[in-house]
Amino acid sequence: MRPVAIIGTGQTDHARRRDDVSQPELVREAASRALTDAGLRPADLDAVVIANMELFEGRAMPELWVGEGAFANGKPCMKVATGGTSGTSSCIAGFHQAASGLFDVVLVVGFEKHSEGHTQTGMALTDPFWDRAVASGALGNFALSISQYMAERGVTEEQAARVAVKSRRNAARNPHAHLKDADATVDDVLNSKLLAHPVRLMDMCPQSDGAAAIVVASADRARELCPRPAWVKAAATRHEQPYIGDIERRLLTMRTLKDASRSVYAAAGITEPLQQFDVAEIYEPVTYAELAWYEILGFCPEGEAGRLIEDGVTEMGGELPVNPSGGVLSANPVGATGVIRMAEAASQILGRAGAHQVEGAETALVTGYGVYAWADAAILGSAA
Amino acid sequence: MIREGSINIPFLYAAGKAGSEFLVALRDRQQLLGSHCPACARTVAPARAFCPGCGGEEMPSVDIGPGAALVSWTDVPGRGVFALVRPDGADNAMLHKLLGPAEGLRPGSRLRAVFADERQGHITDIEGFEILGEGS
Amino acid sequence: MSERISVAIEMAQGWRYSSGDAMARFSEGLRRKRIEALQCGGCRRRYLPPRPVCGNCHLPLSDWVPVSDKGTLEAWTVVFLPFLDARTGEVRDGPYGMGLIRLDGSDATLNHYLAENDPARLAVGMRVRAVWREELRGAMDDILHFEILP
Ligand SMILES: [Zn+2]
Ligand SMILES: [Zn+2]
Repeated sequence: MRPVAIIGTGQTDHARRRDDVSQPELVREAASRALTDAGLRPADLDAVVIANMELFEGRAMPELWVGEGAFANGKPCMKVATGGTSGTSSCIAGFHQAASGLFDVVLVVGFEKHSEGHTQTGMALTDPFWDRAVASGALGNFALSISQYMAERGVTEEQAARVAVKSRRNAARNPHAHLKDADATVDDVLNSKLLAHPVRLMDMCPQSDGAAAIVVASADRARELCPRPAWVKAAATRHEQPYIGDIERRLLTMRTLKDASRSVYAAAGITEPLQQFDVAEIYEPVTYAELAWYEILGFCPEGEAGRLIEDGVTEMGGELPVNPSGGVLSANPVGATGVIRMAEAASQILGRAGAHQVEGAETALVTGYGVYAWADAAILGSAA
Repeated sequence: MIREGSINIPFLYAAGKAGSEFLVALRDRQQLLGSHCPACARTVAPARAFCPGCGGEEMPSVDIGPGAALVSWTDVPGRGVFALVRPDGADNAMLHKLLGPAEGLRPGSRLRAVFADERQGHITDIEGFEILGEGS
Repeated sequence: MSERISVAIEMAQGWRYSSGDAMARFSEGLRRKRIEALQCGGCRRRYLPPRPVCGNCHLPLSDWVPVSDKGTLEAWTVVFLPFLDARTGEVRDGPYGMGLIRLDGSDATLNHYLAENDPARLAVGMRVRAVWREELRGAMDDILHFEILP
């Protein structure tokens, strides 16, 4: 496999409702910006990968509808749909297409327009014989898993609230973020509406309209086109068994994320993630999940995630800034969300992250999360 | 064992920049709109924000129709005649209904858009295409 | 910005699903308040819902084992946010309790409603028991919810 790199990124300004644009027009905004960032013309693209969860918008074959917006006409184009991991998985598919030698330049675009449908209702269309009668969408699943995590690891509501505060403060410096609040406090979070015990409004990711894109290039093209490409050091995806009850202790074990991360750590020589990564963009659908991921990803020993957030280790300026963009808690157009993680991490390496740039970032971790089970991980670096 | 069920979900789709312009023109002017790409010298129907050919975003709207040419059709029993019609001034066809029986139709048959009396900014503001004759 | 048009469309789609043999036997059992799991001969895992193949060992599953309608609460929440149920098109209002229940005799947990919806009265590790409907139809919602045992 050839080395590949990300040479450009583009995002919409994510929002609750973008009724000024159709789905293809939304996709075009992000795709255009990524092309401009990479200094390319549409004709330079060899292939397109699209990420979207079509049931959320109730539109069959969205890749056909929005493909024109993504410059896909007359080119190889496919869609990836794996829940929340759709975005990261589509990026990894793009990496593979370029790494295999099949294509030199691939555009990956993810999008979602939650305002046009009913995401939670769509998500609850699970096994009609088993859990459809008791499904409560993403919120119910997260909340269920959290009680067990809190009981076993002693994580508190205050510690979770600190994650929300960090996220919305970071988002205030990201022009693309949906929810920004430079003055958010722990009390604001603890006083926000209870959605599903113990998850409060500010603990939970929003539903956003938005699109995000990256341009992936083979090593030769990347060197030609980009002064400082974000090299893909390793990438892995892992899927799980189908039912929430199949997964042993869920947030506490998350074997897919553990396996995917250990696989990329081994490939990229990461033994001390907290020291070796300069920045991480991780898929945290809810505050408590970010804490659980600290433990799963090896940023701290089990049971110490609360201390990590209290000590500011993952704040901007801390030892390992986690989600300088504001993360999923600050913008969540699902099909785009994983692409946003990858685009944000790439921007950090490219040195184009603007007001939320981590100075001198050379090694970045990206993770994706799907339904309650699936996981992706990738490592980007400044050296080929 | 068989289980039957249903899925009931409401959706609300934004027509967007080009789509809104197209629907407003149907409603207010009983007019079909296409978009013209100067680079490709091609007009697409209905209006859209970017060129399917070259990807360009400079796509001024142009009036097309109401006359149109029949491209192909199918007669669905109980539901009517569906057809691909190419509005005059456009280089591609769009899908809509034909008003009237499918008898005697042939590719190139002349058609004309018929607009609904009550229009609300929806594709059904075009009631369908009436059949004028065999054309050239 | 010129006028923005949005188009409303209601999806009302009928579906017809076939269960497969394992789920058919399980569902028939529910009519008699009988819960059964399929056990893997390789890893010994007792699966709920029952399915044809073990996802870990990839061995076909055929050994049925009885499962109690009592179990232990492994995880719980109380949902306050109203939820549009696509099966009915109706909104399900909060608060309602939900739990992940490890039924005695099963290794997988089952998600279902709880009779209790006061967070102060719920805790991981509590013992629970299924409350069955009067009229049994051979479906998961033959169990109305789980009640907390003293
Ligand atoms: Zn053109
Ligand atoms: Zn097994």
